[in-house]
Amino acid sequence: MAVDMAMPILVVDDYKTMIRIIRNLLKQLGFNNVDEAADGQEALQKMQAGAKFGLVISDWNMEPMTGFELLKEVRGDDKLKGTPFIMITAESKTENVIAAKRAGVNNYIVKPFNAATLKAKMSSVIGDF
Amino acid sequence: MPATDVATRIRSALDDIKSTNLDDPRLMEVLGLAENLVDSMKIFFGSLDSSVHGEFRYIAEYIARTRDEIAALRPNDIQNARLPTAGAELEAVVKDTEKATDIIMSMAEEILEENPTDLDAYKAMIDGKMMQMIEACSFQDITGQRVSKVVETLTHIEERVSRFSEVMGVLDAAEEQGDEKEEWRKENLLNGPQLDGPATGQDAIDALFDGDISDEQLGQDDIDSMFD
Repeated sequence: MAVDMAMPILVVDDYKTMIRIIRNLLKQLGFNNVDEAADGQEALQKMQAGAKFGLVISDWNMEPMTGFELLKEVRGDDKLKGTPFIMITAESKTENVIAAKRAGVNNYIVKPFNAATLKAKMSSVIGDF
Repeated sequence: MPATDVATRIRSALDDIKSTNLDDPRLMEVLGLAENLVDSMKIFFGSLDSSVHGEFRYIAEYIARTRDEIAALRPNDIQNARLPTAGAELEAVVKDTEKATDIIMSMAEEILEENPTDLDAYKAMIDGKMMQMIEACSFQDITGQRVSKVVETLTHIEERVSRFSEVMGVLDAAEEQGDEKEEWRKENLLNGPQLDGPATGQDAIDALFDGDISDEQLGQDDIDSMFD
């Protein structure tokens, strides 16, 4: 099935510059419908308020709710648990990657990353585009 | 009056009493026992005075040495000048990099948005934007100098604290429990990027696939293999 290039994507990061970078990369990949949140709590509020996202791309280190906590909240919510979720973080300790995988993350990207990596990980989660 | 002087005076008083030719032998016996007691006390208090004096002298010297070492740390200089300056330098680094990033990204975004109908005008526009991006990169020189100053300050503090710790024979106390927010951070936030990057060795991969979870780092390729 073809990927819906107009699907809304939620980018969650507490650094505006990183959100801007991911926005630009997504735009270059053909995804223009991008929403953003500054931490897990804001993202969860948007999702629970009814906004439907075809993909969530989230940082891990954020306050007051981390990306990992957001992931667990999403997977624990019947309405949201099917949302594809990619974690992007500067740290890749084995136990953290395993913890995220066990919590249901669909893929995991280590910062810094490039457009090719983002495209490859997105393709593995939502299909080729 | 020191204990040894007291004993000497009692001994002298006893000698005076004995020299008055008292007839009662029981009194003379009591005086003899008292003399022996005073002699014993004199020896005991003499040693006690000497050791107590020695201890107090050691403590006084230790306090004086501690004061000198603390003075050598120049804590007021560190607190009032060096640390605030280092903090200000780091804040400036953050602002400088943010500003440069904003300029570079804005230029790139404007180039991407441009529609090249007139090639000459397009090239002139690209040249102008590229020049601004190059100019923005000059932040690296300034931030490099700022970071060097901060490193210098940290080295200064490290050297003095190390010397103080060594001279005073200081051992680390148990770590104090932080406040609630700090505890949450420790529990939930990752440590951030590693100095040597997320490169992975074969050992880490083996440990992971053997089910032996280690603290080794994984690289993107290794993480990919977990999801493939």
